[in-house]
Amino acid sequence: MFKKKFKSLDKRHTADIFLKRPDKYREIEILTSNAKNLITMGSGKSYVAASFKKDNLSLQFSKFDRIINFNKKDKTIILEAGIKLSDLLNFTLKHRLWIPQIPGYPSITLGGAVAANVHGKSSGIHGSLRNQIKSIKIFHKTHGWLNLSENEHKEIFELTIGGFGLTGTIVNVELKLVDIKGNNFTTTIEKVNSARDTVNKLNINDLDNIFCYSWNKTNNKKKLGEGLIFKNKINENNTEISLNDIGHKTNKIHQYFPLNLWNKHSINFFQNIYFNYYNFYKKKIINDDLKNVIFPYAGKETYFHMFGNNGFIESQILVPLLKVDIFLDELDYNFKNIAPEITLFSIKKILDKDLLLRFSGEGVCFTFDFINNQKNIIFLNKLDEICIKHQLKPSIIKDSRLNSDTVQKCYKEYDIFKKTLLDFDNKRIYRSELSERIGL
Amino acid sequence: MNYLILGASSGLGKDLAYVFAKNFHNLILISRDDRDLAPIKSDLENKFSIKVTIYKIDASSKEEVTEFLNNKEILFDDLDGVLFPIGMMSNNDNIKENDKNADAINNANYLSIVRFIEKMSPIFEKKNKGSIVGFGSVASSLGRKENVLYSASKRALNSYFESLSATYSEKKITTQFYILGYLDTNLSFDKNLILPKASTKKLALKVYANINKDNILKYYPKWWGIICYIISIIPFYIIKKTIKFIK
Repeated sequence: MFKKKFKSLDKRHTADIFLKRPDKYREIEILTSNAKNLITMGSGKSYVAASFKKDNLSLQFSKFDRIINFNKKDKTIILEAGIKLSDLLNFTLKHRLWIPQIPGYPSITLGGAVAANVHGKSSGIHGSLRNQIKSIKIFHKTHGWLNLSENEHKEIFELTIGGFGLTGTIVNVELKLVDIKGNNFTTTIEKVNSARDTVNKLNINDLDNIFCYSWNKTNNKKKLGEGLIFKNKINENNTEISLNDIGHKTNKIHQYFPLNLWNKHSINFFQNIYFNYYNFYKKKIINDDLKNVIFPYAGKETYFHMFGNNGFIESQILVPLLKVDIFLDELDYNFKNIAPEITLFSIKKILDKDLLLRFSGEGVCFTFDFINNQKNIIFLNKLDEICIKHQLKPSIIKDSRLNSDTVQKCYKEYDIFKKTLLDFDNKRIYRSELSERIGL
Repeated sequence: MNYLILGASSGLGKDLAYVFAKNFHNLILISRDDRDLAPIKSDLENKFSIKVTIYKIDASSKEEVTEFLNNKEILFDDLDGVLFPIGMMSNNDNIKENDKNADAINNANYLSIVRFIEKMSPIFEKKNKGSIVGFGSVASSLGRKENVLYSASKRALNSYFESLSATYSEKKITTQFYILGYLDTNLSFDKNLILPKASTKKLALKVYANINKDNILKYYPKWWGIICYIISIIPFYIIKKTIKFIK
């Protein structure tokens, strides 16, 4: 077995790892029993190093991508965890069923989505993926094969959802599917003047629009957050299911240009073009298809490539509604003082049960992408201080800088997660760079 | 149409199952671990609405293969083709140690396939149609210090398929035999090989496209044919001096 160099998607962490790709169930058992420490890898597209660690074994799970059982009447499906979300949708949409909690890239695997407890752009209505999960089957080096659900090993079931793969290899997942009237959407685009204006217009009670999120400009030091809100609802006049498969180009997203092409000038240039295109040229109400609506990054990987070898940092912060004003005040103050280079700023709602280390609760989610440089890290450290001060949640699965101290102070159930995990696996067999960094 | 695939749980066998299923053929899939076959069956039936029957058979066991072939409940008469994307290697396959695994390696790579074809030949002859597809290895083009029995059994299989093709040259029974170079499978996934690994998905498509044609000694990828030809014209005493590098 030779070592392979592997990079996180944000390019901030590289390690030589042992990588195996089992395609038989007995191979999962053999490879796991031979490894001292390991972690499972889905598509390897986490922003942070969640699926690998230096000198560790990573079990690449892409060959386990099959439908184990589908019950159209009960609207349930059991799938192997290596299935890509695009393949899952390609199958269920033909039966007018789906899961609405879809993260932004089509080749993310179901196992990875469970381990991160993803929430798509419909998080204000549908919450996180947890709401669709009926049961999970895992394989653990010590405990063997385990079925997890509300009725079986409930504690480990909850720990596994949003558990970063630390409870073992997620092998099968049973999902509750939801009806979908059609996969043609109507997108409404609305102009907003600031981040505060965005929050006011992202109406928490809006149940018509399935997806609701903003894109905000960061190139004006005096006016942070002028931008656009995108609201997508199913086109009631066109409820046909288009059977064009949602494709995915594997590994393209991991490539990068030799140099970083993002700087304040290119940010200014692209943000003005994007904003003016939607604000002045494009219609305010447009027809869209599901792929464009849920996978906005697919086909636009150049955005990531432009960060070059140094990569980027994504920060996502969940702010309870009552603390949004104070957060925006502090954000504005630090933005003016430090003038960070932010390539992407987006806002959406989240409405979900707060538990363990999940990025969930009730509030507004602010997402920022930064060029990886010292000035921006200073700004991010300020954001950490704001999070600790006001008990806000920074996303563990997005931000590769977060340390154990910040996570402990921002996640009130950190100690419960750690203790439950240790009780279940006192040897702490499943490890990643992420788990080490945040002290698990 | 109905096809049987021996060794269908992973790699090329699994990809063949998907290509044939996508073209709406019913399948009998055989492998030694039904835990791997069950998800393939459910996946194919859900996606392509075909009928898939699975059997847990260890092809390295003469008894299991014989028992299966004598099973009256299996509708061998309905089959239109049989494919053998199967191979078995052992860590101890060398001149000194191979006695323990000799029967298993010979059975899995050669004799079980012969037994299946013996069963199917009269059926295909009666119908005057049928497809038989076998897979060899570039390892069989040269003697070696490791994988001794594996390469010998694959060379025997190669010869057997030539005989099969000659036997059926006047009939509408087609035989394909592919000599495979490095394939992108779970076995080669973490190996740093000098030459590139070929896609099993593309090979499966090629096999399906040629299913009604006679194709003996097709190298895959093609350029392995040139390498094997060069090896065949070099005197063996020269090869022997370099053979210590060949596993």
